[in-house]
Amino acid sequence: MSGAADTVDVVIVGSGAGGAPLAARLAKAGLSVVVLEAGRAFRPDDHVPDELAADIYWMEERLSGGTDATAFGANNSGMGVGGSTLHWGAFCPRPDPRDLRLRSESGQGEDWPIAHDELIAYVDAVERVIGVSGPELYPWDQARRYELPPVARNAPADAMARGCAALGIAATDAPAALVSRDRVQPHWGERRACINCGTCHQGCRTGAKATTDTSWLPLAVAHGAEVRSECRVVDIERDGSGRVTGVVYVRHGERRRQACRALFLCAGGVETPRLLLNLDLANSSGQVGRNFMAHVATQVWGRFDADMRMNRGYPSSLITEDLMRAAGVDHAGGYLIQSLGVMPVTLATNLARGAGLWGQALVDLLDDYNRLGGIGINGECLPSDDNRLTLADETDAFGLRKARIDFSYGPNERAIDGHARRTMTAIWEAAGARDIFAVDRSAHTIGTCRMGSDGDRAVVDADGRSFDIDNLFICDNSVFPSALAANPALTIMALSLRTADRFLATRG
Amino acid sequence: MVTRLFFLHALGASAREWDRVIEELEDVGECVALDLPGFGGSADADLDVAGLVDWLAGQVAARQPQNWAVVGHSMGGKVATLAAARARDGDPAFAGLAAVVLLAASPPAPEPMAEERRAEMIGWFDDGHISADEAATFVDANTATPLPEPLRSQATGDVERSGRLAWKGWLERGSREDWQRAAGTLSVPALIVAGSEDGDLGEQAQRRLNLPHYRDARVEVVAGAAHLLPYEQPAAVAALIREHVLPAFGRALPAPFAALLASDRVSRRTRAVIMERHAAPPPGNVLSPEQRAVLAALVETVLPGGADPVDLAGRIDAMLTSGIGDGWRSADLPADAEAWTSGLDTLDRLAGGFADQTSADRDQLLHAVNDASRSADGAMFDAGQMRLWFAEARAEIARQWMALPATMARIGYDGFAVGGDGPRKQGYRRTAADTIEDWQTLETPS
Repeated sequence: MSGAADTVDVVIVGSGAGGAPLAARLAKAGLSVVVLEAGRAFRPDDHVPDELAADIYWMEERLSGGTDATAFGANNSGMGVGGSTLHWGAFCPRPDPRDLRLRSESGQGEDWPIAHDELIAYVDAVERVIGVSGPELYPWDQARRYELPPVARNAPADAMARGCAALGIAATDAPAALVSRDRVQPHWGERRACINCGTCHQGCRTGAKATTDTSWLPLAVAHGAEVRSECRVVDIERDGSGRVTGVVYVRHGERRRQACRALFLCAGGVETPRLLLNLDLANSSGQVGRNFMAHVATQVWGRFDADMRMNRGYPSSLITEDLMRAAGVDHAGGYLIQSLGVMPVTLATNLARGAGLWGQALVDLLDDYNRLGGIGINGECLPSDDNRLTLADETDAFGLRKARIDFSYGPNERAIDGHARRTMTAIWEAAGARDIFAVDRSAHTIGTCRMGSDGDRAVVDADGRSFDIDNLFICDNSVFPSALAANPALTIMALSLRTADRFLATRG
Repeated sequence: MVTRLFFLHALGASAREWDRVIEELEDVGECVALDLPGFGGSADADLDVAGLVDWLAGQVAARQPQNWAVVGHSMGGKVATLAAARARDGDPAFAGLAAVVLLAASPPAPEPMAEERRAEMIGWFDDGHISADEAATFVDANTATPLPEPLRSQATGDVERSGRLAWKGWLERGSREDWQRAAGTLSVPALIVAGSEDGDLGEQAQRRLNLPHYRDARVEVVAGAAHLLPYEQPAAVAALIREHVLPAFGRALPAPFAALLASDRVSRRTRAVIMERHAAPPPGNVLSPEQRAVLAALVETVLPGGADPVDLAGRIDAMLTSGIGDGWRSADLPADAEAWTSGLDTLDRLAGGFADQTSADRDQLLHAVNDASRSADGAMFDAGQMRLWFAEARAEIARQWMALPATMARIGYDGFAVGGDGPRKQGYRRTAADTIEDWQTLETPS
């Protein structure tokens, strides 16, 4: 085993939305920081607008069980310097204050141990760094302002606007973490304005989309942080008192060691708990791997008479938050609706699997690709004891046991799914769609190392610090106590800055 | 559709060596026989192999074929293979290459040649030009029996007018350059032809040095010929070319799609992955012939009138063989290879011969499988597993089919053409319904 003899202040495992902002903030504060990323480094130009050839996903096998088994791979898991921000949709609604107090409001789910105002201050700081395009006025938050004008709407967005208007549902341009004008990103260079190519999920080739490798990581490096790509962390070393002293990682087949004074696991809602369970660490609560959550992400599709060509343009260019707390519903929480632009291969897979289609019906729909349009939701998912990540008996190439994730909708998710199907079907009928049908889908990997105030019920405290090991921190979507309807990346980046500040404020 | 065949001659020859081959091929496509620089009376030039490939790029690009084949003889064969490698790597000049034919071809590796003979041939230029006797020695040594007149005089005449720089450049350098790594493995269909009486570049050398570079290739040996195949056996050579090239041309992507793919709206990497996927898949070895047949029948039922069932079954077998899946699997199913063999075997058992059923019966059975209402004693999978596997199978079938360039062309999808390798990517200027840009003209007029 080889390794750096020097002990650094901080090692961060993972370079995505959880790890990169705190890397920048800690480096700026003068700490020595090493970021270890399992995947390789890309230039924007390296990305390829092809669904099978895009190589920015975590494609190592995970086992998925339960009655609503969720898809991994390209659906929700990133790999590469930038983590999941390489493929994220950049759709970035802010977390709703009611969602952070869901238990107080509804008696279901969990409250967050962080006040909404405090979180939003960090969200605001994140938005100022990454650059967000959005509407001049945001109907559900009159005070909100976005730095950049909205990107062009595409055909499904226009259809959704039409349908919503007919039904009296407010809808507007979606907040999108991409630049609608050329914009200089400090320490990186000029991010070119979005060109409406529609390939956000295959990797942004112009730098328009906010990814950590074109924003937070260059900032971190400018302040002395080191980002090491292709480093797979396989072990965590501890001293006699159980404190972390370093990590062991494999780079190109060679085992190496990096000593550190504090360790931040930011590897996402699957790899973070998987590593802890494999090493049997930080789990005196028995909560590691529990409460896995995936957003209800039902879609409704239909045929239009018009030539839609939905692959053009920013995919999620329209939003409504009107359903965040709909009247007269039988579910806790709510959901966001967005217009969809889905690439052919993803669509084909979702139609075959999620809509249960095959035969002439499937061929006819796929042949009609250019005339299809869809809308979809991102809906609350309640934490549940039945939904958890455990270790399978099979091991990966590094000898670590693979993750098995069991996920089944509960009554609340079914109720949201049902409500959303009815709402979206009505919108699509009003928009002029024909042959309307729904696709089952869930998205994002949330929970599994939740934060809380009680060490018996949570893995980390509100600062992201392990209740068991005082120099071990977690910062990614695994710490979410509840799912929130908002897509997670913006909140993860905000938590990342907060975790850095709390670390700086509380370290000895 | 602009369909062309480009012919590259051997050392010391010229475009004329193809005359009697081309006579037989005029209905296959427009035949373009080229004089390599320094031969056939063209200006002499000192080009290494990379220079020759660049020269060919210019020749091909000037004629903008959408669907083309390259036929390379001896020295021309090395150039042909390296052009195919550049096509594989997304070079726009070589976009649309559908087939390769090698005749007694020099390989990407250093060409096997006795140093004594090499020195002798280089020495022919010591007095400034190749003499008639030397040219006759060269031609006669490379034919099984002496060529009849006037062909022999034509062949020797071409040797005599070889340019010194080109002749010596090939013998001293080009034939010795090692391009094996750059050539790598090619998926373009190749026909590799050897003369039964050839020496250094005969069948054994072709199998050893050229065949390993082609994933989808066959070797043919032409009797009664040594090295100068186009002169010695033009009819046999033409028949082989026709037989190889016609089906490859038949698989060509539609002309507007091919033109868009070759344009500066597409990056090299994107062009390379799309062309690679358009080629036949690498051979798979997870599924038995029986399982492949069941899978082909399943493909036909899942995507009737869509996918080519045998081709798609081959692609899924190749995917299983590579071990690269989609990042997850059902916890209630075994690893992919075992899941597919068990699923296909169980399906066959449930049907009592799935491939032999009518499409209506197959469809009915799949509905029962999807309802988890069918099981069979002794089958590998129970009803619940079959339901899960069928969901996985139909998603994978749909995924593989949708990703094919031919399917993109079929549905009028142009989302791959959103940015080339230049500093400014093009993207889309129009995103609203019922508006398209001038370049979006993929659909064949109906």
